[in-house]
Amino acid sequence: MKIGEKLSENILDKLSIDFLRNQVLKNAYGNNDTVIAGMDPRILLIWYLFFGLVPWFVSDIPFLIGCFVLVAVTTIMARVAGLVLFLFGLGVFSQTGYLLIVTLIFGGDASAIAPLLILTLKVATVSLASVTVFSGMDPDKLANGLMWYGCPERLSFSISYAYRMLPILMEEFQNILLSYRLRGNPPEHKSFIGKIKYLVYQIKIIIHSFYPLMLNTAKRSRTTVEVLEIKGYRYAAVNKNVKKIRLSCLKMSNNDLLFLAVSFLWIAVTILVSTLI
Amino acid sequence: MNVIETKHLTYSYPGADKPTLKDVTVNIEKGDFLAIVGNNGCGKSTFCKTLNGLIPQFIGGDFKGSVKACELDTRTADVADLARKVGYVYQDFENQIIRPTVLDDASYACLNYAMTDYKERGLKALEQCGLSGKEDDFIWQLSGGQTHLLALAGAVSLQPEVLILDEPIAQLDPKHADGIYRVLKNLNENHGKTIIVIEHHTEYIADFCKHVMLLKDGELKWVLPTEEALQQVEELQECNIFPPQVTIAAHRMKRAGGLNDNTPLPVTIEKAKDLFALKDDINTSAPLIPSDNSEAVASFRNVSVSYRTVKGEPHTVFKNLNLDINKGNKIALIGSNGAGKSTMMKLLVGLLKPGTGEVLLNGKSIKNVKPEALSRQISMVYQNPEDMFIKDSIYGDISYAMEVRNVENCMERTEELLKCFRLTELKDRDGRLLSGGQMRRASLAIGVALNPGILLLDEPTANLDIATRKEIMRTLEDMKEITETVVIATHDMQLVCEWAERIIVLYNGEVVADGNRNEIFGNPDIVNKVGIRPPEIFSLGQEINKDALCYTIDEFLDKFEGRA
Repeated sequence: MKIGEKLSENILDKLSIDFLRNQVLKNAYGNNDTVIAGMDPRILLIWYLFFGLVPWFVSDIPFLIGCFVLVAVTTIMARVAGLVLFLFGLGVFSQTGYLLIVTLIFGGDASAIAPLLILTLKVATVSLASVTVFSGMDPDKLANGLMWYGCPERLSFSISYAYRMLPILMEEFQNILLSYRLRGNPPEHKSFIGKIKYLVYQIKIIIHSFYPLMLNTAKRSRTTVEVLEIKGYRYAAVNKNVKKIRLSCLKMSNNDLLFLAVSFLWIAVTILVSTLI
Repeated sequence: MNVIETKHLTYSYPGADKPTLKDVTVNIEKGDFLAIVGNNGCGKSTFCKTLNGLIPQFIGGDFKGSVKACELDTRTADVADLARKVGYVYQDFENQIIRPTVLDDASYACLNYAMTDYKERGLKALEQCGLSGKEDDFIWQLSGGQTHLLALAGAVSLQPEVLILDEPIAQLDPKHADGIYRVLKNLNENHGKTIIVIEHHTEYIADFCKHVMLLKDGELKWVLPTEEALQQVEELQECNIFPPQVTIAAHRMKRAGGLNDNTPLPVTIEKAKDLFALKDDINTSAPLIPSDNSEAVASFRNVSVSYRTVKGEPHTVFKNLNLDINKGNKIALIGSNGAGKSTMMKLLVGLLKPGTGEVLLNGKSIKNVKPEALSRQISMVYQNPEDMFIKDSIYGDISYAMEVRNVENCMERTEELLKCFRLTELKDRDGRLLSGGQMRRASLAIGVALNPGILLLDEPTANLDIATRKEIMRTLEDMKEITETVVIATHDMQLVCEWAERIIVLYNGEVVADGNRNEIFGNPDIVNKVGIRPPEIFSLGQEINKDALCYTIDEFLDKFEGRA
């Protein structure tokens, strides 16, 4: 009941679209002066390949803890936006974390806890590695890095264009929601039934808002499509030189090598520790 | 040398039964600064899109005749080559920005065309457009005027010979509008660019353009030097184009016999001021509107507001704001972009809660009231009417608020509103697909549907051509009867002068002036500090006699006579 109440209050009121928009922007571009953001996207992608895959196949607890500590440090270094971390926490908890806690409370012994701990650590490590890479780097860098590894130009364009459009879409969405708020007539929500009705009403409005949102976006994109043509988007898609020029700005620095070396050393130490135990 | 040559150009859009352009033959010389004028739907934008090959290469249709841009035939030349000759800035320029940061966007086209010096070109374009120092900013940090300059820089970066701008200043306050035209002038004079603008604001044409081209229903009427062109008062007005106020004033005086028949009509204040003299027998000071003592319907009490920003400190909009809005007030809220006009409106309708202080509506604090509960007392019409259309027909949109509140006679009231705002014919159409003026009327009808005591309008005349603007101003005049208290946030000083009874001037989140039009426009300190641009006719009156305060052409003609 408490949660229901909180939710119905929150959806439109406290957790405003404005806040979301702000967090998305912060996440994508607000932290471009961190160590992680300054790194070469190619190195980070290799790094991610290791920390995104290997933990799935290893069940050694010291090793997993080592990996977890490392990615936790990189996440702090990347200064990831609060909302993303919150979602991460929620995600891990809803997947396995709550089982771990429940088992602890009801006196589960080590034999029950260990497998759950391993699973939680795996999920957490992989998620944090993703958070570091995908939210620590700005979208353009990520796009360039992917392109270097041979991903099609369209994919990398989509990534950076989506980020460019997202704030605008959210603002548009917010305005439409506001129209509903200013003209709508929500059900009375003093009683518990009323609160449930109010929640349903809010969700309905959000769904209804998509129709005008899509139409407004379609109207906007008419100009954008013509502009892409003038600005040579199609021309660039078939021209090999453009790709070369675009990727020429990728440069490896000492920081990148240092980062790789430290990660490598740390992993070596954890493996050593785990064999000693 | 001609940069543009069209011969017998006739074009119809795919599926259209009538051609949009009919047999247009025109030459545009290198180095020209040309304004294209014409009524709505006369083919101005279509004509411009034929010049860079978008028509017929990207948009099909029936294309006859020929267009040559810098010696290239637009039917056959490569789009890449054409883009390097002819740059284009759209009217809805914010959709023209592709990349998230300023320098990236300015150099985007150069990168796409595989120019190795794309960064330098982007930097140079930014410098030419007055955006130096903004290279690493994100596009959502830019103001409207800067965004437009960036769209321009994106086109300039390819260093084309010809630049086409579709209504460059429609959405800007006068300060930013001046900025854009100064940049264009510099590009034209110092960098040898040919500039073509589609423009309704004849005051700017008079100040900046060299030639004017009139299109009427897809046909080319004439291309004339600016001074001569703007003197064709009757022909222009027939096409819903309004020559500068000084020209109209002189024209009317000439017709009334007050001016010599051979005198050429002036197009700028500079040329007009020697033609008129103040009548001796007239009292110069206009009557003051008595100050009102009616009760306050909305008040701000020590209100402070700040916004979150992506980086750094929150941005403070208001600090200890105190203001009363009285019953029956017709208020114009003015101030440059970002002065806090929209924030003030959002506070009033309860969409934004003040950090400290409180907002009172009809004597009660709205702190713990949801916006939905206020909608019978106060209503707001957005600047962008598209955001108000939440149903798939105008009828549905107007009746929505009444329907969900089970208002009696909802259907009759909707029909009545449709009639009142002349929308009955359009009631089943989707609001988004209407013309600019129709959209605006529909949004006003939606705003007054619940018969609120207070109505807030955000820039009701922005983005409209002058004829449509006059129509909306008439609608607003009619609405004075319907709604008791109205607040309009606007840059449109003609609207302010003709409509408002009280003017509130915001500057950096503070109310720096509050009074009737004489108290505001007659106060040079305020006018200069805030950068208010009074209507041209007012400036002309001031230029001749400091004490003359006339806001409309009628008032001017009452007070002044032709100099013999």
